[in-house]
Amino acid sequence: MHIDNEIDNEIRFLAQSEIRLKILSELNKRPNNVRGLVKTTKITYSSVSSNITKLEENNYITKVGTKYHVDPMAKIYFKTLMDFKKSIEIINNYDSFWDKHDLKLMSIDSIRNINDLKNSQLIETTPLDIYKTHNTIKHQLMNSKRVKAIFPYLHPEYPKLIEKILKNGGSVELIIPKEIVKAILLPMNEKLKKDATNNGKLKICSVTTDLNLYLTICDNKMSLGLFKNDGSFDQNRILISDDKKSCKWAKELFKHVKNTVIG
Amino acid sequence: MTSVQTKKELNQEFKDVKYILTSSMRTKLLLAVYNAPKNLDELRTELQKPSATILHGLKELETINLVRKSQKYYELTSNGYLLTTNMLKLIENWYSLSKSEIFWNNHDLSDIPEETIRKIYLLKDAEYISSTTSDLSISFNKYIQLISKAKKLEILLPIYSENHLKHIVNLLNEGSLKKLELIVSEEIYNSISENELFKNELLENKQVTITILENNFKIFLTCSDEFISLTLFFKDGHYDDSQILIATDENAKKWAFSIINQYLR
Repeated sequence: MHIDNEIDNEIRFLAQSEIRLKILSELNKRPNNVRGLVKTTKITYSSVSSNITKLEENNYITKVGTKYHVDPMAKIYFKTLMDFKKSIEIINNYDSFWDKHDLKLMSIDSIRNINDLKNSQLIETTPLDIYKTHNTIKHQLMNSKRVKAIFPYLHPEYPKLIEKILKNGGSVELIIPKEIVKAILLPMNEKLKKDATNNGKLKICSVTTDLNLYLTICDNKMSLGLFKNDGSFDQNRILISDDKKSCKWAKELFKHVKNTVIG
Repeated sequence: MTSVQTKKELNQEFKDVKYILTSSMRTKLLLAVYNAPKNLDELRTELQKPSATILHGLKELETINLVRKSQKYYELTSNGYLLTTNMLKLIENWYSLSKSEIFWNNHDLSDIPEETIRKIYLLKDAEYISSTTSDLSISFNKYIQLISKAKKLEILLPIYSENHLKHIVNLLNEGSLKKLELIVSEEIYNSISENELFKNELLENKQVTITILENNFKIFLTCSDEFISLTLFFKDGHYDDSQILIATDENAKKWAFSIINQYLR
């Protein structure tokens, strides 16, 4: 992987100076003059003015009338830089979630689109509430009509939860290791199971390869759990979200895993 | 002087992005170990820098938990992999933009959905072709050549052009084109239906699906299994038939289909 020198230089020109970044982000919101920028950013007049000149020389901004505007192309460059900034924030904010965890089943697109998770919430167990992650997932599953899930292990409550969703007329699509298929299905009501399978309300994709990812999409909520690099599931933290982007992100990931494991 | 408080806030806001992107060494090291772990020798050969410089950079990246050393090899940590994938996206976004800067800068991009613009890295292998003063139809001819091989086309069509439509009707009649999905505005639809030939051969053709959108749009996008092409309007509102952006790779198709899907929704 290489970086073109010219692009390296251009990116560095912006990234080098917090003042330039701040000015651009203000002008990106609304065009302004030097005095206005001094007021909103609290940076001194001389710094604003000298950096405005540099930005103008490098074709990032243009003066129209009395105010500086960000050039249309510069806007796009700047937005992609801010997208990168946001992705660093997501990596850092959920550091304990990613650090030393196995990302092999995550698609490259899901990583490139990691900003879609910006409204998620990291749920961690505490010594006072060691079942917090499980209970959060359970709560999501209990009140849902349409569920897609990757369960890499069996929790004894799953069969009952799935049964309940099906009883309420909902649908369940599962990706699970081959070893737990029986254990999930056995406790469930025979007729319900049969009917649901026949009318497509219960779909099970059983997997013989490693399934090192936990993912649920319940109606408009999602939750994600990872395995540690040592191969054990990290039961102590999950990422959950109920916003549209995260759910779309999770659905794409579900599709990716399904395609990967079906091969 | 800018106050200490302001400086501190600014510093905090942009600290991480600045740290990663301002050192050419750190950036290059992350990219060097992105695809496979490497040892010091390999890094020295690849980056053409002395060991001390490389080791110093690696140490910095180890300190912020982006790189780790395992046996004698340096590799990305989970966080390092997440960050470098996104840094690469940034670099490729900039590359795609600057590679076809004249094309993007010449045109009105307002009808390309914002989300898709931010994923312009998917077009890194796209090339644009311009007509010249000695041959004004290079770009149109290229378009006709491309669609003549397609079995299936999806087109976001913002113009009523008999030239284009006649070729498409021919392709349908000759049988090379099996399936056409046309997305047009009401205004363009009305113009098409006023022409007897197009009314019969396009609108009443079973191989053609038409989606009519209420509003006009300013993006001419064609997708097939083999290629995608894009032409746009000038900022003054006129259609530009002189420049066409073309790509044939999977990423570009993904980019184009995501636009079509957004328009269909």
